[in-house]
Amino acid sequence: MLSKTFTLKIAGPAGLGIKSGGQLLSKILIESGYSVTDYNEYPSLVRGGHNAYQITFSNTKAFAPHYNVDAFFAMTPGHWKTHVSEFTKNTLIFVDEDPKTLNLKKGKVLNLPLKELSTKLGSNLVANTISIGVAAYIFNLDLKIVKKLVAATYAKASDLNLTAVETGYEFAKDNFSKYRFKVAKGKKQKSPELYDGNEAFGWGFIQGGGNFYAAYPMTPATGTLHFLATKQKEYKLTVVHPEDEISAANMTAGAAFAGARAATGTSGGGFALMNEAVSLCGVTEIGMVYYLVSRPGPATGLPTWTAQGDLLHAIYSGHGEFPKVVIAPGDLDESFEMGAESLNLAAELQTPVIVVSDKFVGESSSNTKDLSKAKVKVKLGNIVDKADAGFKRYSLKTKTGVSPVSIPGTPNGEFLSNSYEHDEFGFSTEDANLSQEMFDKRAKKIQTAIKLAPKPILYGSDKAKKLIISWGSTKGVILEALKMMENEEDFAYLHIKTLWPINPELETITKAFKEIIVIENNGFSQLVTLLKSQFNFNPTEIITKNNGRPFFPEEIYAKLK
Amino acid sequence: MPNLNNYRSTVTPTWCPGCYNYMVFAGLQAAFSALNIPKHKLVINYDIGCAGNMADFLNTYGAHTLHGRSICMAMGEKLVNPDLTVCVIGGDGGIYGEGLNHLIAAARANTDIKVFVSNNYLYSLTTGQTSPTTPKGSKTKSTPNGNLNEPIDAIKLIENINPHVFAKRVDGRNPLELNKSIKEAMEFKGFALIDIAQECIAFGKQLKS
Ligand SMILES: Cc1ncc(C[n+]2csc(CCOP(=O)(O)OP(=O)(O)O)c2C)c(N)n1
Ligand code: SF4
Ligand SMILES: [Mg+2]
Repeated sequence: MLSKTFTLKIAGPAGLGIKSGGQLLSKILIESGYSVTDYNEYPSLVRGGHNAYQITFSNTKAFAPHYNVDAFFAMTPGHWKTHVSEFTKNTLIFVDEDPKTLNLKKGKVLNLPLKELSTKLGSNLVANTISIGVAAYIFNLDLKIVKKLVAATYAKASDLNLTAVETGYEFAKDNFSKYRFKVAKGKKQKSPELYDGNEAFGWGFIQGGGNFYAAYPMTPATGTLHFLATKQKEYKLTVVHPEDEISAANMTAGAAFAGARAATGTSGGGFALMNEAVSLCGVTEIGMVYYLVSRPGPATGLPTWTAQGDLLHAIYSGHGEFPKVVIAPGDLDESFEMGAESLNLAAELQTPVIVVSDKFVGESSSNTKDLSKAKVKVKLGNIVDKADAGFKRYSLKTKTGVSPVSIPGTPNGEFLSNSYEHDEFGFSTEDANLSQEMFDKRAKKIQTAIKLAPKPILYGSDKAKKLIISWGSTKGVILEALKMMENEEDFAYLHIKTLWPINPELETITKAFKEIIVIENNGFSQLVTLLKSQFNFNPTEIITKNNGRPFFPEEIYAKLK
Repeated sequence: MPNLNNYRSTVTPTWCPGCYNYMVFAGLQAAFSALNIPKHKLVINYDIGCAGNMADFLNTYGAHTLHGRSICMAMGEKLVNPDLTVCVIGGDGGIYGEGLNHLIAAARANTDIKVFVSNNYLYSLTTGQTSPTTPKGSKTKSTPNGNLNEPIDAIKLIENINPHVFAKRVDGRNPLELNKSIKEAMEFKGFALIDIAQECIAFGKQLKS
């Protein structure tokens, strides 16, 4: 099984097309019939530094990037140094240096004179495409497919880049023929499109009827702002980059109040500034979406790296007590689903919905269906299009906690969306009974939310010996690790999509297992804290990691086996 | 004959007797009525403060926002539905202090929202502390030894940022001038700021003029 999965990595300074070349290679691999999943590392710099782009591909589904690399390409000398721990004895390490001078005892170090070859072609920017040519040879890819996609990607310099690919391919044929991998042939992918999680969320937002997005740039959430900004005209979206996150959130609340299906996006630091607006949405019952793409904190933290450190921040965001929904996508497809589902939940529940993603899901790509054509259900909630005089926006007569809402412009629907406690029309009140009744009305939405929010998924049998529990971006890594296990059937795996409110089903499921292992990409195991606060929960093992890096399947495999 | 009651809620205003906000309240209704703005197409965003307490006294679509964020919500509403007439009512504390960044951004964008600031040179609802417009040297509850800061001149500031917007200071004690200016602002196509100079009856006596 394992031998059918391969991992290759390109590394070098920023500005050499590491990411663009890497993504091109991902597309080539998809077209060649493989499932791909990528992972990129880059510093918070625009030029220089060290960047790496990695692709794990397989003829079965590749759920997560592997740690160990089969083929490694250093674009310039020295850029292999921070990756030595990823090399095995079989790794092919292509360097533009004399292998004999490197004190590198692992893998097979091979000289690939990128500088010399690209200088001959008259450009120092084609090292990445030369490497693609080498990869095409090493992994036995169809050169026709490679050339087609290279020409399409570099339409303005297609001759140069096609020559570069051929140069790499020929050089590999002449020098590396004995290192060719035995790669199982791919089969046509039913999901041939490459997106990252942030784009997938953006497509979900569009297909879910989203029409207003305001965000202040903050890595790793910015991808969605950029993506939606390019789609403004085609899909009639209003996309705004306002003066700060406080404005982004309050402006989005204004947009939602005025009838938009609206979201804002940020990372932990920006979300801290948005807390006041989360609370505002709670009391005014404005349904809007907060897309929170985490990076490691505290404070500015590690801007371009990953962590799941904002779970409790999201759940406890906003002062005061009010219902909210917190959901977390585990992968690309769930990012898409939740882009739409979060808007539906916001509309149906009229309360803030927070989607907690992270750098690992948000900025990693894999292949899926064409999301520009994917259809989803759009639910508008209880919006009235006609109102009678005396319309009660915050009517207490509701079983679900949700009252009818009118949109400004609707005659007779006038009401006050009031940040103070208020009566059924929205006018301020300090009355004791009414304050309690209003609180209780809103609190009813918690039960409604449990019914509507995404349910947990249990992989494997409820008779298995051990239960793994996780949320968010660890999903793919765990599924990939389970794929490697000799005793896969000993494990069941519970992936929790809705982190707030807690579905009572979680207690029932976890009770059935004696051995429970919780895996979280954070330091204080926040999910454990959360579940302990809800029911009697005593996991036998807690696996955490908080160094800016995601878990890798090999790591989980070693811990589980 | 304009029907002022049209825009009124049934809530009795809670301002101090003699508060200059009653005149802003009357002036706004006169302008809405003269311009025939149907109340369902009118969205008023109220900041937190004495001025913003007008929220309960009108009966149009409205948002009593967070302190300092009235302009943000107004921007969102106007961008989503340009058909709406979108106003902001706030104090010098909310608009020139907590929310100054939003005022500047809205003026730069020249978005068609109307911002009315009851500038009483104090944080009044919180019982009289120094605000961004409090004259230098004034003793207030939070500056018992005299305010050390230079006051903001919001009109100069906004004119400097974008000379194409409508920005005007009026004497809030003069109803004719006030009503005329409110109407001018409402009729202006683009961003408008009216700084309405007031005296807070309850806490204003302590200010150096
Ligand atoms: C975030 C936040 N900080 C502080 C307050 C308390 N607060 C209420 S009104 C106000 C100042 C009001 O001053 P101004 O805006 O000038 O309005 P005025 O009462 O003078 O009309 C403050 C600080 C609040 N409501 N919210
Ligand atoms: S405290 Fe001042 S501003 Fe507030 S209502 Fe009284 S007079 Fe008006
Ligand atoms: Mg004031």
